[in-house]
Amino acid sequence: MKQTPLLLPIFVSFLLLTSLSYAQVQTRLRVFEASNVGSGIDSSLRDMGDQLKSLFSFSSYRLLREEMHTLYPNQPVLVPIASRREIELTLIGKQRNVAEVKVKIKQEQKDILNTQVRLSPGRTVSIGGPKHGEGVLIIALSAHF
Amino acid sequence: MKDICSSILRLLNKYFDQEVTPRERILVEDHLKECRSCQKSLKFMEELRSLINLQIREATQEEDLPWLWQKIERGIHLQERPTLWQFIQSWLTSSPFLKKKVWIPVVATLGSFLLISTQIFYKKIPSHPDLSVVEYVESQTHNIMVYEFDKPKVTIIWLFDVVDKDSTAS
Amino acid sequence: MNQNERGWISRCQQGDPNALKEIYNQYHKKVYQIAYGVVRQREEALDIVQEVFIKLFHSIKNFKGRSQFFTYLYRMVINTAIDHTRKIGKYPLSSLDDVGSFQPPEDIERGPEKTLLNKELRERLNRALDKLPPEQRAVLVLREVEGLSYQEMAETMGCSIGTVMSRLHYSRKKMQELLKKDLESLSEITSF
Repeated sequence: MKQTPLLLPIFVSFLLLTSLSYAQVQTRLRVFEASNVGSGIDSSLRDMGDQLKSLFSFSSYRLLREEMHTLYPNQPVLVPIASRREIELTLIGKQRNVAEVKVKIKQEQKDILNTQVRLSPGRTVSIGGPKHGEGVLIIALSAHF
Repeated sequence: MKDICSSILRLLNKYFDQEVTPRERILVEDHLKECRSCQKSLKFMEELRSLINLQIREATQEEDLPWLWQKIERGIHLQERPTLWQFIQSWLTSSPFLKKKVWIPVVATLGSFLLISTQIFYKKIPSHPDLSVVEYVESQTHNIMVYEFDKPKVTIIWLFDVVDKDSTAS
Repeated sequence: MNQNERGWISRCQQGDPNALKEIYNQYHKKVYQIAYGVVRQREEALDIVQEVFIKLFHSIKNFKGRSQFFTYLYRMVINTAIDHTRKIGKYPLSSLDDVGSFQPPEDIERGPEKTLLNKELRERLNRALDKLPPEQRAVLVLREVEGLSYQEMAETMGCSIGTVMSRLHYSRKKMQELLKKDLESLSEITSF
């Protein structure tokens, strides 16, 4: 019976971990600079080439950062991006093939952007516009289910 | 028309709230003459306002709020409050929930319930095609436009510097 | 702010509970309306009204008169109400499976027609409002019920006018999405 106090928290932790493993989502974050200085698409962005050409009219796209993150419910992940900015991703809810993710972009204590988006298979959410160097920053977010 | 509608929709909110400039009013009223979808949106806003108003006013009428003053008066005249530590001590000594034969089965039940309810909650549901990708969006420093495309499957949230305000109105 | 109100505030700042009572008589209904609009529960709203006026009595010394008194008071109500919703998890993880899925009961055409219809649709409205984040419910109440201007709402919520407009836009858009199947029925019940 003395072992009971130890076994119980272990058992509850096991149950919790099993539950939480169903509630996570893999996200891909790509941060790149789009500008009209120079021309060409960074080789790491070739898979987005058609998309970029059809949506934007910049002449040059350069990848700055690419990361994969696993998001767990209500556990923010903070990623520094260019020009003293940070992006914070928090998984708010998830069904099997739709993840609700809260996205915040901050610069020097200010919220440049506060949004909540639904990521589904094949959909990319691109956030763009903040100035960077000679062009603008674009952040492409997608999820893997 | 769809592009014009999405830019008019923000002005439509301002128009409905009577916060538009004379120029914006003309833009919206001209568009409304031709666009049934925006007319419907405006009608919906009117109906929603009536309904919310009605609900809340009814909820308030049912309440006899003057009686609440007595509780507030007691609250502001509270003489002596136990410190936090005293409160915790008294709860620990008197609470029946801290007995082993109570908390062990309670924790076990909660843990099982958590596992089962998480599975039920995170069940497979086809995504609802009509829900927009963006739940909400706000910025302290920029103006924002949201564009949604089906082919390719991309949603763009574009941030405009505040000086670019004029270029966003169309 | 009228002369009476200035007098009440001044006396309240000096610790006079009778002055607080005057302010309470003036504002308690509006405070309840806003609290109820955010938390959507009668008991919670009553707790919030009590908490707000007690807080107000202790913090009114900080009111310098730079903004309108009602924006100062309403901000306290909104913040307290939002804190309540967070503490008790009133904005749960959203469920995507019941949007627009409510089916009207089969006996809806039998009388008393209007009462049954009103009740059902009001429940749908309640469910739709429950799906909004508390900040969006707050702007809806401030605008639709209290009739505050965008500037007043921005002062009350401590944010920019742009943020107020954005929250209003998204809350109305979300309500339209959630209630779109009921729009025709909605127009019937608003004529009662």
